[in-house]
Amino acid sequence: MTKEPLLDIRDFSLVFDTFDGTYHAIDRVNLSLQPGEALGLVGETGCGKSVLTRAAFGLVPTPPARITGGSVKLAGRELLGLSDRELRQVRGRQVAMIFQDPMTYLNPVFRIGTQLIDAIRAQSGGRIKRVEAKAIALDMLEKVQLPNPERQLAAYPHELSGGMRQRVLIAMALAAKPRLLIADEPTTALDVTIQAQILDLMAGLVDEMGLTMIMISHDLGVVAQVCSRVAVMYAGKVVEDAPIAQIFDAPAHPYTQGLLAALPHPFRRQDRLASIPGTLPDLLHPPSGCLFAARCAQAAPACGVPVPMRPVGEAHRVACTLYDDERKKEPAHV
Amino acid sequence: MQRSAGAMKRLIIKRLSLMLVMLLGLAVITFTVTNIAPGDPARLAAGPDASQEMVEKIRVERGFDRPLPARFLFYLGQLAQGDLGNSVYTSRPVAQDVAVFLPATLELVLFSILIAVVLGVPFGVLAAVYQNRLPDHAIRFLSVSGVALPMFWLGLMLQWYLSLELGLFPLGGRLGIFDEVPPRITGMITFDALLAGDPATAGNALKHMVLPAIALSFPALAAIIRVNRAEMLEVLGRDYVVNARAQGIGPFRIVAIYALKNAILPTLAMIGLRFGWMLGGTVLVESVFDFPGIGLYAAKAAISSDFEPIMAVTLILGAAFMLTNLLIDLAYALLDPRVRNQI
Repeated sequence: MTKEPLLDIRDFSLVFDTFDGTYHAIDRVNLSLQPGEALGLVGETGCGKSVLTRAAFGLVPTPPARITGGSVKLAGRELLGLSDRELRQVRGRQVAMIFQDPMTYLNPVFRIGTQLIDAIRAQSGGRIKRVEAKAIALDMLEKVQLPNPERQLAAYPHELSGGMRQRVLIAMALAAKPRLLIADEPTTALDVTIQAQILDLMAGLVDEMGLTMIMISHDLGVVAQVCSRVAVMYAGKVVEDAPIAQIFDAPAHPYTQGLLAALPHPFRRQDRLASIPGTLPDLLHPPSGCLFAARCAQAAPACGVPVPMRPVGEAHRVACTLYDDERKKEPAHV
Repeated sequence: MQRSAGAMKRLIIKRLSLMLVMLLGLAVITFTVTNIAPGDPARLAAGPDASQEMVEKIRVERGFDRPLPARFLFYLGQLAQGDLGNSVYTSRPVAQDVAVFLPATLELVLFSILIAVVLGVPFGVLAAVYQNRLPDHAIRFLSVSGVALPMFWLGLMLQWYLSLELGLFPLGGRLGIFDEVPPRITGMITFDALLAGDPATAGNALKHMVLPAIALSFPALAAIIRVNRAEMLEVLGRDYVVNARAQGIGPFRIVAIYALKNAILPTLAMIGLRFGWMLGGTVLVESVFDFPGIGLYAAKAAISSDFEPIMAVTLILGAAFMLTNLLIDLAYALLDPRVRNQI
């Protein structure tokens, strides 16, 4: 922890103003990435993973969203409060994003080549000419191992398979040689065999280009393949942040434990997969204490007040009262 | 590309033959309706002063005494030879009348649809981009007015204010009485005057069209704004727009090119539909502005129970409607590669 982090998110909070009231989507999240690190951001659908990473770079429309506090620093530069134009340059040049569904993230009425060349030129701030951009596009398509790059430039998105489209999107995202890559469930929409290919490809490119990466997923298995560290989100909060081995061997937060218990085990016969009882809290009226307490078997009165993150091991932090010194003295009354 | 050009040709041939079938259906309906309507065509043709004997003679001569199906077949035979019948009112062949009046209407409708598209599409885009803010509210006010105001009333108001009060535009007609009508080439005075090298007359013809065109285009403008606004809102929320923004592509390019090319497709369908409605709307607007087009011709024919012009105008407007829709479908295929692959 001696180097300056590439990405440093501090106390980041975001709400959505809706007709029913204020929806607390992200609540005082802290995340920090060292250069070259690959962080997995896991949590169930709707926990705020995507909103967090998009809002940090100005991709969530405001309104209805409203950033209520915190700071986002990229290589030491504060991003919150930057103008639209400045954020656009950050997105094009320094931060690349790959999204979940390759079927919907390419524009259906423009050729692949047009979209690639447009993106590459935009990333350069218009400094690259069309001819050069086309050369870069071809080069990138080769890098992502798309067969027949020259022909694919003239194709429309619907003429390509899902895996091929995801390769195109990866080529598009990485063309500007960014420093940070945010991969938002890049393989969820793909067949399992294609998933493995795309993950391999991404891991290779991350290595080759020396990228720092955040991989968003609700699949711990996918994260384990690519990432060295994991942050677990629940209802808009980071509840645990640990090296990948720690998460699997010694999960600290009851929610993380529940997630792991819900994974199918290859060598054990199970009639029914374990699940976490209860539902997500109402984020229009969030409770003041631990958001998971209502579903937690080990909840105690101490969980009713705000629960900050605390260290429980080397680079392992968790937001849970189980690890309070006072609570440790007496066994939990369930 | 070769393959799709062949497919396109097949599509056009298929649609044109389908059009013939639809026109036949339309002919059946118009023929039946006009012949069920009260009124004695023989008496009309003979004129009010003719004796009963004369009327009967004309009835046999024109075949009005024969059964309906036989008369319909005879009528179809005439149509196939390009004979649209005769107008009692103008006492000329209907085909000749149409050749005079249709270009005037086409000119007016083209001008109107141009206004509706040139204003409607950008207004729709602006309203979507500034959703729920001042530009959106102003544009929506305009669009709701377009739906609510009857065309003939708007026409009268325009005449009263812009023409009578302010004297900005002529009250009606196609040209001033002192203007020289250019030699007939297309029948559209604006184009003919330009072709004859007479821009002053062209400008004057255009000036005569401004008020009727505003009245005629207003409802279409409203519809185009609404459809384009709704489509833009939808498209701007799509994933590929998020991706384009994530690449750092600028907002103007995203709105005007990436989003609009997707949103324009349903708008095009509305434009086609509205073009057809405008042709029908000319009956009202041409009457208000005394604009000698096919709508006014049809209105006068209807008032004097002059059946053959009415049937002819109905068929012609029907054919124009179908042709417009075919053109819109082809434009769809041109703009959307997914549609192109399906044909």
